[in-house]
Amino acid sequence: MEYDLGPEAAALRGRLRALVREHVPADYLGAFTADPADLAIAQDFCRLLADEGLLCMAWPEEFGGRGASLWEQTVVREEMWARHEPRGAQYMGVNWVGPTIMRHGTPEQRAQHLPPIARGEVIWCQGFSEPGSGSDLASLRTAARPDPDGDDAGGRAWRIHGQKIWTSYASMAQWCFLLARTSSSGRRQQGLTIFLVPMDSPGIEVRPIACMMGPHHLNEVFLDGVRVTEADVLGEVDGGWAVVQEVLAFERVGIARYARVERLLQEAPAALGDAWDELPAELRGRWARMLTHARRARLLAYRVVSRQGTGQVSPVDSAAYRIAVTRLDQDGAEVLTEIAMAAEPDGEAGAHVDSVDPRRWRRAVEDHARYAVASTVASGSIEMQRILLSRALVAASGAPSSAQPGTAARAGAAS
Amino acid sequence: MTAAAVDAVTGLAAGGGVVLDLSDEAAEFGRTAQRALETAGGDELAQAAEREPARRAELVAPVLDELGAWDLDPRGSADELEAAAALCRAAGWWAAPYPVAQRLARPAGGDADALFVVAPAAPAAPVGGLDLRLAAVTLDGRRYAATARESDVPARRSAFVVGLDLAPLAGAAADADAAGGQADAALGLVLGCWTLLGLLDRAMTLTRTYILEREQFGQPLARFQGVQFQLTDAEVERAGVAELAGYALWSIESGQAEALDDALALRLAAVEAAETVFRITHQLHGAMGFCDETTLSWLSRYSQPLRRLPLGRSATQDALASRLGRRGLAGIFGPNAMAATK
Repeated sequence: MEYDLGPEAAALRGRLRALVREHVPADYLGAFTADPADLAIAQDFCRLLADEGLLCMAWPEEFGGRGASLWEQTVVREEMWARHEPRGAQYMGVNWVGPTIMRHGTPEQRAQHLPPIARGEVIWCQGFSEPGSGSDLASLRTAARPDPDGDDAGGRAWRIHGQKIWTSYASMAQWCFLLARTSSSGRRQQGLTIFLVPMDSPGIEVRPIACMMGPHHLNEVFLDGVRVTEADVLGEVDGGWAVVQEVLAFERVGIARYARVERLLQEAPAALGDAWDELPAELRGRWARMLTHARRARLLAYRVVSRQGTGQVSPVDSAAYRIAVTRLDQDGAEVLTEIAMAAEPDGEAGAHVDSVDPRRWRRAVEDHARYAVASTVASGSIEMQRILLSRALVAASGAPSSAQPGTAARAGAAS
Repeated sequence: MTAAAVDAVTGLAAGGGVVLDLSDEAAEFGRTAQRALETAGGDELAQAAEREPARRAELVAPVLDELGAWDLDPRGSADELEAAAALCRAAGWWAAPYPVAQRLARPAGGDADALFVVAPAAPAAPVGGLDLRLAAVTLDGRRYAATARESDVPARRSAFVVGLDLAPLAGAAADADAAGGQADAALGLVLGCWTLLGLLDRAMTLTRTYILEREQFGQPLARFQGVQFQLTDAEVERAGVAELAGYALWSIESGQAEALDDALALRLAAVEAAETVFRITHQLHGAMGFCDETTLSWLSRYSQPLRRLPLGRSATQDALASRLGRRGLAGIFGPNAMAATK
């Protein structure tokens, strides 16, 4: 067995840490702030990563990447998420917009969209959820109706009317990865189409939603007769659902949530200084327990990664990971907040400080706690994960007879 | 990017070398042991042992002897340690009424047949009915010779647990360094958790089968979301223990300085998971799960010593927290981050 990702991973980790240390302020808490300087930090950092060949290293060489391994991608995700995602919204372009366009885009779409994503220059938002369509995404009502004028080349065109909601980064984005209904015949999943839509198109209006997570997290996007043509369709007309499934699969393993929780937990004693020793023993016990849960979530993530490597990912692995990691976000937030509140609000750390600024740490904990509330809702609710997992568990054919790794659950998932 | 970094990254792309599973040989050994125990009686083993505790050894030990189990030296090589872990998991699957993990972990030197990790305040072990020379070790690495006390509590209630009398080792063994004792404690805890994992595997498998077969309101229980969601909660716990069990095993076989931290972290997660898994698997079995005719009832009762000894959930958490102090668990961040370039 081997759990050490090896010297190459350590070298990559070290390189990313050095870049972050040099180019991202220590108190950076992500691009979701009212301060335009934070957005600029993310923009600059993406360009830097792109220049260093680190932004799209996972992409195939033909699209400007280096075909980096899944483990390299894991290291990048861990390091970026632990440091409040200094790639800003662009991580979405790298993680799922680009790869989806590679798989389903026309040569023209690839040429138009992939280079700016690879250079870290463009922000995308995801136009999926609607006021009446959350987990039940296929019920969405935003409609693309044929525009009788067609497009300039004699092809089809549509006018899109409807509303999207909970759209992160919509106020910053240049492009929207938009799902709309193009047909109402057949199964609900059959009449949906993906459109790649410029956010400055006439008829698009973005309204921010004030929320407990902070600015820019959530927006409404209103679409009033937004004109799109065949050139804007990703994949097949009426064939958007399959693309959405791929996007959601990319998204579900895309964020190494455990890395931020682990970092904040590991920094807690240094952030508290002498006050650490005054904590109730029970709270230090819960801290130790939460570190165990952070490791557990990390190892469940590694299980998914290792199965991706062999092309055998099952819903059992990915759903179990996502359930564990989103709960970790929230359970970790409770423990961290309690520890943070035990320290002097503006106190200096005591004798044990080693490069952890207590004020920065407390702000990061507070930010994490607000953000963690959304963990079990964002990118597919935890209930949907439980449904996926339970279906896979009970779908297994025949009772497994082995007590060795990969028992009941995996045997079932393979069938 | 520097040439060195490019080279480094290219090396990683080759695979990273991460191996999360036991070796094929160890896994095969585990499967063989599981079949052998099935042939020897399977679920009947625990029942026979409960009726006649004095037969515990003859029911299980010869079967494993035939497989060469007692020739394994878990301290000797990674392969043997992994085979030992697979064997413990197989023994757990049948709730085999014999201290397989503790016999595998017996101290080097031949003075004892089995090693138990104990809490000095209330040393106890499930050795009723056995005639073994016992060694004990505490979490801080102190080693003892142990003697089982007489007990008239029937096995049905005690699950073979009896009190132990501890005698500090004399001579060379007493001078053995604490690190060696702690390594023994880590090995004992980890193999015990592999046994418990086998029990959890089985409880989940039995429950899955039961909810597919049992019908109420005209459909299998498995169709009810209230049932499905409970099953997922239990499975996430079981799956998490399986991963931590692999990690803690690797920590021992690769000689990590934090092996005892990792063993305690596994133990905490395993005890917690057992609480969830047995609560849920019992609930989903309904009244049937309490009956002797269901295997769950036997698994549940004979999981108790593994869950309560040497320390239960709270005391395990306390022990882990005091060991970790300020340094935390080895991971990707923190003072003792693993293989991370600072």
